[in-house]
Amino acid sequence: MAGTIKVDIKRQSNPDAAPVTERFEIPYRKGMNITSLLGEIAMEPTTADGKASTPISYDANCLEEICGSCAMLINGKARMACSALVDKLMAETKDGVISLAPLSKFPVVRDLAVDRSVLFENLKAVKAWVPADGSYDLGPGEKQFPQIQEQRYPLSNCISCTICMEVCPQFNDQTNFVGAATIAQVKLFNLDPAGKQLKEERLRALAGDGGVQECGYAQNCVQACPKQLPLTEAISDVSRDVIVQQVKDFFVR
Amino acid sequence: MGAVAGFAPPDNSTRKRGVQPLRAGQGHSFLWRKLHSLTGIVPIGAFLVEHIISNFEIVNGPLAYAQQVKFLNGLPLVRVLEWVFIFIPLLYHSLYGVFITFRGRSNVNVYPWAGNWAYIMQRVTGLIALAYIIQHVWRQRFAGVSLPEHPGLAYAKVQYELLNPWMLAIYVIAMIATCWHFAYGIWLFAAKWGITPGDRARKKFGYVCAGVGTVLCAMGLVSIFWVAYARPYSPVDVMPAQPNGVVMPTVPYSPTAQQGAPVQYDGNGQPVQPNPVPQQ
Amino acid sequence: MAAATPRIIVVGGGLAGLSAVIKIAEAGGNVDLFSIVPVKRSHSVCAQGGINAAKNLKGEGDDVLKHFDDTVFGGDFLANQTPVKNMTAMGPAIIDLLDRYGVPFNRTPEGLLDFRRFGGTLYHRTAFAGATTGQQLLYALDEQVRRYESEGKVKKYEGWEFLSAVLDANGVCRGICALNLRSMEVVTFPADAIIICTGGNGAIFGKSTNSVVCTGSAQSALYQQGAYYANGEFIQVHPTAIPGEDKLRLMSESARGEGGRVWVPKKKGDPRPAKTIPEADRWYFLEEWYPKYGNLVPRDIATRAIHKVVFEHDLGIDGQAMVYLDVSHIDRATLERKIEGILEIYEKFVGDDPHEVPMKIFPGVHYTMGGLWVDFDQMTNIPGVFAAGEADYSIHGANRLGANSLLSCIYGGFTAGPNAMQYAKSLQSAPGDGGHAAEKVRQIEYNNILLHNSGSENPFKIWRELGETMTRHATIIRYNSGLREADAKIVELLERYRNINLSDKSAWANTSFAFTRQLYNMLQLARVMVQGAEKRDESRGAHYKPDFTERNDEQFLKTTMASFDQQSAQPIIGYEEVDTQWIKPRPRRYDAA
Ligand SMILES: Cc1cc2nc3c(=O)[nH]c(=O)nc-3n(C[C@H](O)[C@H](O)[C@H](O)COP(=O)(O)OP(=O)(O)OC[C@H]3O[C@@H](n4cnc5c(N)ncnc54)[C@H](O)[C@@H]3O)c2cc1C
Ligand code: HEM
Ligand code: HEM
Ligand code: SF4
Ligand code: F3S
Ligand code: FES
Repeated sequence: MAGTIKVDIKRQSNPDAAPVTERFEIPYRKGMNITSLLGEIAMEPTTADGKASTPISYDANCLEEICGSCAMLINGKARMACSALVDKLMAETKDGVISLAPLSKFPVVRDLAVDRSVLFENLKAVKAWVPADGSYDLGPGEKQFPQIQEQRYPLSNCISCTICMEVCPQFNDQTNFVGAATIAQVKLFNLDPAGKQLKEERLRALAGDGGVQECGYAQNCVQACPKQLPLTEAISDVSRDVIVQQVKDFFVR
Repeated sequence: MGAVAGFAPPDNSTRKRGVQPLRAGQGHSFLWRKLHSLTGIVPIGAFLVEHIISNFEIVNGPLAYAQQVKFLNGLPLVRVLEWVFIFIPLLYHSLYGVFITFRGRSNVNVYPWAGNWAYIMQRVTGLIALAYIIQHVWRQRFAGVSLPEHPGLAYAKVQYELLNPWMLAIYVIAMIATCWHFAYGIWLFAAKWGITPGDRARKKFGYVCAGVGTVLCAMGLVSIFWVAYARPYSPVDVMPAQPNGVVMPTVPYSPTAQQGAPVQYDGNGQPVQPNPVPQQ
Repeated sequence: MAAATPRIIVVGGGLAGLSAVIKIAEAGGNVDLFSIVPVKRSHSVCAQGGINAAKNLKGEGDDVLKHFDDTVFGGDFLANQTPVKNMTAMGPAIIDLLDRYGVPFNRTPEGLLDFRRFGGTLYHRTAFAGATTGQQLLYALDEQVRRYESEGKVKKYEGWEFLSAVLDANGVCRGICALNLRSMEVVTFPADAIIICTGGNGAIFGKSTNSVVCTGSAQSALYQQGAYYANGEFIQVHPTAIPGEDKLRLMSESARGEGGRVWVPKKKGDPRPAKTIPEADRWYFLEEWYPKYGNLVPRDIATRAIHKVVFEHDLGIDGQAMVYLDVSHIDRATLERKIEGILEIYEKFVGDDPHEVPMKIFPGVHYTMGGLWVDFDQMTNIPGVFAAGEADYSIHGANRLGANSLLSCIYGGFTAGPNAMQYAKSLQSAPGDGGHAAEKVRQIEYNNILLHNSGSENPFKIWRELGETMTRHATIIRYNSGLREADAKIVELLERYRNINLSDKSAWANTSFAFTRQLYNMLQLARVMVQGAEKRDESRGAHYKPDFTERNDEQFLKTTMASFDQQSAQPIIGYEEVDTQWIKPRPRRYDAA
């Protein structure tokens, strides 16, 4: 294996261009991950058959699976490029060729870079924030028992990588489903002593078209989430709260 | 500063292409979706349980089955009940279910995980159930001899159908598919209505649903095979004359009446012995 | 002009940038926020340990003056004391605010904030949210900014790169010139004041614990436009990072705290797998050199020792810059209980199980103490250009204490924001177009030259050489000869840069083009670092010269001030007195009680 790594990369020069696949061969080194492999290509952007090519466009920043930039399809599956190790990937393929492609549910910007701004729009739509009075010194926040903190902490680990959305069969341009990440954030903020203030608004927002009801409970999200968020649990909890809110609104409003 | 001052950023977002943001609080799909979910449990799910239990009377013979059919058809306002609680909800659940099915983008080929398989199976079994129910209700309820009027022929009608090995296979497949759909459906319902949010709760409830599904399916399959093979085919009305107002029991217990032998009734509703017991 | 509502541009969406945005939006200003990456993906997300503030919730008698003293002392007295004093005083209020913003800080059983201990202090002063404090803080601020964005008070320009400030004929800042990283358009944006919060510059060292966009490009561009760059030679190197093919990932000190041992094979290039090398053939150099502290010597000492073993004794594993950090002798149960989380990181990124095989680690460039020079109001010497966060030089002096950076970022933003507003309100209107047209032309011309160059140099290769040179000569142990060698090498690289050939000349989302632009700025800033280091003939904080092992207050209790000479395109190194009005400098020693 010590020779070269073969990698097929699905490329697209702009959002309207037709995708093409290019193969690269990169000298093997132990401990490589996908981002280092892409770095090697930038150093020597020549395809396997000797054609001059260009460095691959892709998003990456932290390189330690915390910024959420580098999600892509690696051997067909959505994962983070920076934590995807070449040795493991080679073992996984039959012909030893690693394949890279952009996420399939988001518009391609170029090559492996996609536009995931829909998640940030969704976070706005559900008001995923604490409506704090101001940034001046207003003393400490409310007490919060460790039990609540322990429920909130895992949810606040979401890195907005959108993998849970990519792998969800319900997340597509027919349903315009919000996806698990946003639902989990609603739970996070509804659990906060001050964030609670907007609970009803968030729950009403989530009953809109594309809301929590579109989840078909395929549970791919929770399997694929690189940060192991308890997504299905959040969906259940939020879903119940949304129903209760709707019933309440029906009788009270 | 002129030209630059009023500068708006060039719109280089590609977002208008892919999945669109949540339409916060807008539209009615929530209501329709929850209605779909609910109809799956009541009334359709409840009907299924009732239907499988009723059909299980088949193991007690044609007469018992006939009584069951007669009983159901004797319920007050039965035609209204049938439409309101069965046909309309079923129609809604199935059509909206088809709509849901074709809006999903299954990807089990890439992510072959249990939940994902269950997701696609829920759609497949739903479609199987739909196809089956259309033919089944047409053939059993609206075509051929009308069972509400001749409950005594129910056994024979089903038996006739099931003697065809193709039909038998279809019934078996449909029974398994429907029970799976229903059992997983209750599990889904609990998960999606926030009744079982925790992983452990969902797992435990999963066993309960599997149990319910298995029992229902077993009962259904036993009925199917019983009606097909337990006794020779005999197209005789076991409960021919229906005096007005008489609902049940139509047949007094008769230790002499042999199982399986069709019983004839006279005009007063009294059994007529086809082969009179020989005088001692 | 002096519009009724000032228009402020904030460049950078890390903790510092977001803090500034919040203050301005709250005060009713208009803010445009520029960032290369979506702000939620800024480097601040990487911080793990925590954030300092003397809340004294543990009954230890901690107070803000002790925090102040620890910070000044930890920075080896190079920091101007007034801003440090202000920052530590603001600390408790900042923690309270973050708490109110919903940061899931760890809690005591009663529901109060929990604090842990960190290096350089005797108090429980570090608030933390699990092992991802930076992420939690960044998100809390990001959410507030998103809220202002949805209210129309903030406009985000994510995917835009700051190229330069727009300066009018009087040298006053009137806006910025930025590059759209998708359409590759160059656009100038007007502003009454700008705040630069573009973070650190680890990328100059090739691989570091920093994120990819931490190139220091924006700071360098401003330096080339006339801003002072201060204390450039002060770079913090963390002793235990996991060398990766693409970056160095932090391996927490707690691995050694739990009994991890650092060693190398005694024989150069020993080909045997680590596990099979017998005790007799292993060199536990820390334990040998520092019998008293063993593997738990302070960070800078451990860092220097490892560096020495690798570069002077040439005993790096497989000839590479790595030594073993071994926890495989510790029983599994203990490891699982105490440090499972960090061992998982190692396994995830390296693929080896540290319970079974020793980890390979090496010191990694971690933090930039130096940065844009700012006054106590966070304004640089260019009127209208403010700076905050890791991008400025204030607060940390010669060495940063753990968990002080997150605090300094928020403090910097909270100070720069209101001051920028203040400044903008009394700003006179610009002569002519404020220099917009000229700056745009200058940048577009530069881009055209770059795009149409037909040389033979690959920018990524130049970058790799820069990183290797800087890491070798300008990190842990510095010799004047090496620093001069490095400077000569950078000059050579700048020369070769003229000969660059971009393989990708397209005008859509051309990332290598953007990188090549940054590379030039990195090269210029690298010279500031090596020349500043060369001139500082002493050892202070993170700056260590074996030929000058003592701190020399007489000559060097001074801030290094680099300015760019437009004629020669060289750095000019000057000095400024340090504000030491509150605490008299004393020797920095951690070994005595
Ligand atoms: C691994 C690691 C762990 C750490 N742990 C801790 C800790 O526990 N406690 C602590 O106090 N500190 C810690 N630090 C240090 C701390 O994380 C950083 O100093 C701090 O986050 C810097 O924040 P910032 O706002 O200055 O910049 P950053 O967060 O780096 O943000 C920079 C911003 O500027 C933008 N930008 C950069 N260049 C341009 C340009 N040209 N144009 C437009 N935008 C640009 C980027 O997109 C980004 O939004 C750690 C650092 C590392 C590397
Ligand atoms: C696979 C699962 C089944 C489903 C979903 C199903 C569904 C239905 C439905 C919706 C009706 C119409 C109800 C009505 O007219 O009131 C019906 C009628 C009927 N079904 Fe089924 N059925 C199933 C299995 C069976 C089986 C296994 C049998 C026989 C053993 C059977 C026998 C009948 C009969 C006899 C009728 C007509 C009687 C009546 O109208 O009440 N069904 N079925
Ligand atoms: C015997 C008839 C049927 C019964 C008892 C039944 C029952 C159920 C139940 C209980 C659910 C779970 C509801 C929920 O997800 O909350 C469900 C879901 C579903 N049903 Fe049915 N159903 C039947 C027929 C059908 C038919 C004919 C279709 C048409 C294809 C269908 C399609 C679906 C789909 C797609 C779902 C999943 C909905 C989702 O995931 O949100 N069902 N069904
Ligand atoms: S929930 Fe998990 S998969 Fe989804 S965006 Fe957040 S981190 Fe990624
Ligand atoms: S994969 Fe999708 S369907 Fe629901 S459970 Fe997860 S969001
Ligand atoms: S680069 Fe940040 S998650 Fe991979």
